[in-house]
Amino acid sequence: MNDLSREQFDSYTADVPPGSIKLETRNLNFFYGQTQALFSVTLPVVEKKVTALIGPSGCGKSTLLRALNRIYALYPGHRAEGEIRLDGGDILDPSVDMSMLRARIGMVFQKPTPFPMSIYDNVAFGLRMHENLSNRVMRERVEEALRRAALWDEVKDKLSGSGLGLSGGQQQRLCVARSIAVRPEVLLLDEPASALDPISTAKLEETISELKADYTIVIVTHNLQQAARISDYTGFMYLGRLIEFGETGSLFTNPRSTRTADYVTGRFG
Amino acid sequence: MASASRSLQRKISNAVFVGFCTVAAFVALSALAAILYSLLKNGLGGIDLAIFTQSTPAPGSPGGLANAIVGSLIMCAVAMVIAVVVGVLAGTWLSEYGGDSWYARLVRFMNDILLSAPSILVGLFIYYIAVKPVHGFSGYAGSLALALIAVPVVTRTTEDMLKLQPTALRESGVALGTPVWITIRRIIWRASAGGMITGGLLAFARISGETAPLLFTSLNNQFFSLNMTKPIANLPVVIFNYALSAYDDWRRLAWVGAVLIAAAVLTAQILARILIREPRRS
Repeated sequence: MNDLSREQFDSYTADVPPGSIKLETRNLNFFYGQTQALFSVTLPVVEKKVTALIGPSGCGKSTLLRALNRIYALYPGHRAEGEIRLDGGDILDPSVDMSMLRARIGMVFQKPTPFPMSIYDNVAFGLRMHENLSNRVMRERVEEALRRAALWDEVKDKLSGSGLGLSGGQQQRLCVARSIAVRPEVLLLDEPASALDPISTAKLEETISELKADYTIVIVTHNLQQAARISDYTGFMYLGRLIEFGETGSLFTNPRSTRTADYVTGRFG
Repeated sequence: MASASRSLQRKISNAVFVGFCTVAAFVALSALAAILYSLLKNGLGGIDLAIFTQSTPAPGSPGGLANAIVGSLIMCAVAMVIAVVVGVLAGTWLSEYGGDSWYARLVRFMNDILLSAPSILVGLFIYYIAVKPVHGFSGYAGSLALALIAVPVVTRTTEDMLKLQPTALRESGVALGTPVWITIRRIIWRASAGGMITGGLLAFARISGETAPLLFTSLNNQFFSLNMTKPIANLPVVIFNYALSAYDDWRRLAWVGAVLIAAAVLTAQILARILIREPRRS
């Protein structure tokens, strides 16, 4: 627990039912070279719930999200200190197999990033990487993933068409399908709707709510209404610190910190 | 009044500038048109079946360019294989791994120098490392020289094309648990395929007419030969020799060879244009 007091930790996790934490950070510090971007962040992520991270631009919410699957490790000089525990095991341990870790923790990015290949191959891409499946099982898994991402009905007749030919909203749901095809336990969403129109956004939010039944979801969003609509827990971040964490309802209606209150009521940010 | 005269002044200087640019463009284009015209006028009439079926003749006897065409194709093909393998790997390293390290900056700098190195120097260099030590000109030495000219072109275009791919695309691959090198191979290369092939075609266009490096390396061969360890016939050197000869039929063959090279370069350039413009639905 280092410099985090028991009292503080309890204040963050007060709302969290015991034994329900799937993923958590403890005293997580993050550095871009010399610049520190996260300061002692302790965040619980509850299993099969949606946790939203909100806060003004540059507050570190994306940085925190990108630490959770260690995608930052692609870049020399980016480093995390502290603990990130997935089912109790520290994923910052150097012996952790990145490929396995990322199969367990999937990620969808701000802009849709379909691979330059067919819709079917997009979804099958991760599956082929991690599992040796027969063609029949592969087809079933691809269909299942596309159904869960609410895309199946729109693409079932053009699975061999290019993923680049879909609309923006469809592309983003294709990326969701691609991530859940490998059956991760946690899904990280980095402002997944910010490049989408309102109708596509609504569809994506619906998808996220349905995925909650099987997946633990962490979503970074600029859109407070979106956080209020779809999340069960919300963390408010400011200047690299987690200012407040709690059940979404109480954080929005009855924030403990005045900074949180100012932000959720639109007084700044 | 003053503003009216200033406006007139602006109009005049604008007209002068536009006129100057138009004349300059016309001069440049008319040079190209003149080249094409003389090529077609002197070369097109000489193209017949014998060009493609018979080898270069002795003066006064009938013949064609078959040995030179085949020799050029083989040498260019071998050179392109070397250039694509080395260039694509080097470009990929520069774009994906080298970053801004001192070694990457050095490689990039050297590559840029090589890109503009006079081809006769490349020929001379290959002569000293691949011809002189084995006491013999060879098709392989010619391919090596051509490859050395093509490698920097392929390296540069590969790096540029890969850098155009969004970071999120790389991260998406990696976020699925795919190792970085497989992400590059199966996603980033595929996304850049059009541009990379274009780079290859431009490199081919660049080397297909190179004469200077071949004079030192593959030399020429009067006869039809597929043996790359010996001197081998090729279009540029045949053109060089025949165009300067005293025989009309040799000079006619030189013109035909020039038309063939021009046609090959033009085809490569047009293909490259089509590939670059390949519609990207998004």
